[in-house]
Amino acid sequence: MQARAPTVTMATAPPRPPRLPWRRAALTPLPPRGYATSAPRVRAIPCQGLTGGAVWGFQMPGSKLRSIFGGFRCQGVIWRRVQVPGNLRGAFGPAAMFSEVTPPPGHTLLGPPSAEPPTFARAGSNFADRSQPFRLGERSFGRQYAHLYATRLLCMRPRLEQQARLRWGDGVLLRKLCQLQAGERCCVVGTLFKAMRLQPSILQEINEEHNLVPQPPLAKYVDPSDELVLEDELQRIKLTGSIEASRLVTGAVLAVYGHEQEDGKFLVEEHCFAHLPPQLPWQGPSADRFVLLASGLGLGSGSGESLLGTQLLVDAVTGQLGAEGQQSCAALISRVLLAGNLLSQSTQSRDSLHKAKYLTKKTQAASVEAVKMLDEILLQLCSSVPVDVMPGEFDPTNYTLPQQPLHRCMLPLSSVYPTLQLVTNPYQADVDGVRFLGTSGQNISDIFKYSSMDDYLEILEWTLLAGHISPTAPDTLGCYPFYNSDPFILTDCPHVYFCGNAPRFQSKLLTGEDGQRVLLVAVPAFSATQTACLVNLRDLSCQPISFSVFGAEDDSDMEVGQ
Amino acid sequence: MEDELYLENIDEFVTDQNRIVTYKWLSYTLGVHVNQAKQMLYDYVERKRKENSGAQLHVTYLVAGNLIQNGHTCHKVAVVREDKLEAIKSKLTTVTSIHVYSIQKALLKDSGPLYNTDYDIIKTNLHNCSKFSAIRCADAVPRTPAEVAQARTLARAASQTLSDTSTVSTPPLNGHGPTAAKQSSQPPKGIMGMFAAKAASKAQDTNKEPKAKEAPSVSAASSKPSAKANIMNNFFGKAAMSKLKVNSVPEQPKEEKEAVKTSVPATEPESSPNTMVEKPGRKTEPAKIQQKDKKSKMKRMDKSDNEEEREPENQKKKRKRIKQLESDSSDEEGVPASPTLQEEKAPSPPPLVPALKAELEPASAEASTGGKKRKRKRVLKSKMFVDEEEGCMVTEKVYESESCTDSEDDFAKTKPPAAPKQPALPVKKEPKEERKNQKKGAATASRANKQVSIMGFFQKK
Repeated sequence: MQARAPTVTMATAPPRPPRLPWRRAALTPLPPRGYATSAPRVRAIPCQGLTGGAVWGFQMPGSKLRSIFGGFRCQGVIWRRVQVPGNLRGAFGPAAMFSEVTPPPGHTLLGPPSAEPPTFARAGSNFADRSQPFRLGERSFGRQYAHLYATRLLCMRPRLEQQARLRWGDGVLLRKLCQLQAGERCCVVGTLFKAMRLQPSILQEINEEHNLVPQPPLAKYVDPSDELVLEDELQRIKLTGSIEASRLVTGAVLAVYGHEQEDGKFLVEEHCFAHLPPQLPWQGPSADRFVLLASGLGLGSGSGESLLGTQLLVDAVTGQLGAEGQQSCAALISRVLLAGNLLSQSTQSRDSLHKAKYLTKKTQAASVEAVKMLDEILLQLCSSVPVDVMPGEFDPTNYTLPQQPLHRCMLPLSSVYPTLQLVTNPYQADVDGVRFLGTSGQNISDIFKYSSMDDYLEILEWTLLAGHISPTAPDTLGCYPFYNSDPFILTDCPHVYFCGNAPRFQSKLLTGEDGQRVLLVAVPAFSATQTACLVNLRDLSCQPISFSVFGAEDDSDMEVGQ
Repeated sequence: MEDELYLENIDEFVTDQNRIVTYKWLSYTLGVHVNQAKQMLYDYVERKRKENSGAQLHVTYLVAGNLIQNGHTCHKVAVVREDKLEAIKSKLTTVTSIHVYSIQKALLKDSGPLYNTDYDIIKTNLHNCSKFSAIRCADAVPRTPAEVAQARTLARAASQTLSDTSTVSTPPLNGHGPTAAKQSSQPPKGIMGMFAAKAASKAQDTNKEPKAKEAPSVSAASSKPSAKANIMNNFFGKAAMSKLKVNSVPEQPKEEKEAVKTSVPATEPESSPNTMVEKPGRKTEPAKIQQKDKKSKMKRMDKSDNEEEREPENQKKKRKRIKQLESDSSDEEGVPASPTLQEEKAPSPPPLVPALKAELEPASAEASTGGKKRKRKRVLKSKMFVDEEEGCMVTEKVYESESCTDSEDDFAKTKPPAAPKQPALPVKKEPKEERKNQKKGAATASRANKQVSIMGFFQKK
């Protein structure tokens, strides 16, 4: 390696080549006579700008220069010092998207090896775990769920009454059901119950009189004949009127405004939910920081197609994949959050229940191998980035919400790293001052089954407006019988509210009535879509990142990331 | 020249060994930064193609860029074959990176082999999988085993306080919970010390990470005693180890086993005798399960145990306890020099009982009917014994040995001294152990599996 003049700074840089017309030249390597050229020279690299035009980038040769500028740590460092065609200067303004941060800084990997490839430091992050309400210590299942509903109503009543006053005036009459008088327009706060004909009921199944065949699992259990009933502490009353039964689910607490009719039903004129709670003050980072949200890795499924995709994801995050620009941006990913379903549904085989003992005696559960794979993947991730692992529907932890963290004994290789955090299923944390709250998707998919809402993002938004993470929790979704508190009630409005294992990627920035800004993200299942999400903490934007590999069948059309 | 060495290496890998050379595989194999590996691959491809345009090289590229889709910008990363490279590049709005992903001789139909190549090389390099990566994380330093143990105790304490103050205020119906937690927290140093030692040795085995300089020395230092301690643990279980430890304190170590025992105190410096005794109380059951698995080894150890504990009788009492519970009935312990001592030690090899309770219960039954057993030497007696003990299974050997011995009177003597020396044990265990003492005392005199019966027959005459 020849020594170069160490004083190549911008001031003494060789004159830049003249502005050539924009044309897309092939990326040619340097002459093959060794990669240490005698004289520093500037190589003009054309690259496509964001708006589709060509932009000239300039490679400052030599690793020394890189070291002077401190490497490709920040996207702006090299670029701002390099002359850029003026009319595209605005394109390199504040970068919001991950991809916008990665314009290739000139040095191409399609060339002979260079002396000292740069290494980037992972962006640090302040992290505080706020999921203590979801962590259960000693558990007792000797209680009824009535306590949970009672405490839910008790906690949410003040907020609902406040919303009612906001909407229907301060003078609105707030009545309990036992105080209702026929014909009087008032507002009642209570818990919804939806009587559904198609709802699977264990009592019906075991009822021998009817000789009913157990109902096959349906995609949706809604029926036009569903009725809504409002319950409060003492009584219940049927609801009619301008309230749409198909959209609502059991367990939501709401305030209805109307009057009681002669037939004993309550005619609803309007109804409202608790709406967004007050939000914590914004303490987000001022520089770009990304958090990768991924869910549904689906290991152990037996099909190898998604494995290379998973490997690409891990490589991209750990900085092995991609050119230097991409690696420098991957270094800005300060945290990875795996939102459930790390194991595939096929690991849940119940052979041991159905098959004869002699057939299953020596067989190992499918989840054992899958967890080993998970351990290796997590080891690669943990050695490079802090990871939070949430359990999901098919993961080896308890079934009822809140799901407790996976036990570290299952992950011996990766649990040695302090960067691995095994967390609960509804998970809440402060990452760099940004409050994250989300689940692995069981709550959303349960509401999907029991209401007519089809869009995961819409359901996500609805739960936020209803002020409760999973209103269907004890009714159709397994839940721990809490006694004095309901940790699923939203008390603080998060900044990022996500759900895992959605069918496709969706995201939306929601603005609340009091100026709350919430980024709603429906994280897609990686095993199906090969897509993960990158959330920029600086401005609460989200971008999907998808991976694709070539398959045997693909000749003409590339799969373009769902 | 040296710079070109990599070209020859790649040539060898691709052409001669017919491998699929991915950039990651090359990076680990040659020990270079991943970006350098990518560049090396590209350089090789270019040169090879220049030299020999008919070279049969198939290259896959990695392309990453932006794509406008469904109204939002999607970042796309794709591994493509060379022939699709231009197509992909034209589809992407912005191309953020292109580099060579892999080189292979044969045309790849799908990406499975790529994954397998990377998987294999990662598997062999799990301990330093981020060594050649372009990103370094300062926080990602594996914890040393000591820190791991600390974290566990902290977590346990935290979870206890959490459970106390959690919203789950109603105490759990299974009373197991808090008490178990408290007990487990009490001798954390003791148990955790053992766990830490075990974890240290095991961590070394399972984790391929390079330990910090301190860690290897610490673990090496502790691995030997802990290895022995582990062996001992496997033989006797933690209960045994605790008892051995307690016993070993006044004893003079005679054999390496005692050296191991002293190492156990080293690993459990702060366990109180009470807790140690308590632990055996709780751990005898798992210990016994272990013991059954390692009967032969236990026999050997029992031999040495017996030999060690010949002189001090006090320790023998405690030893007996351990040995009754854990060691198998073995007749290979040799002719006892002093019949009384041997008789005391005889109980130590536990009968070959499959069930834990069975071990205790036959012992208890034997103790209770000890007086009768001495006089009656019939096998039938043993069957009755089984019925009393509610179906616990006892092997022939046990019964034969019991019936053979005449010297059970000695165990009657040793019972009372044994009893006060086992104060902390649950009462249930004490009589059982004493009975085992008796049983074993009877057994030692005629300790040969099949020969017991014969000798007993002669002796009873």
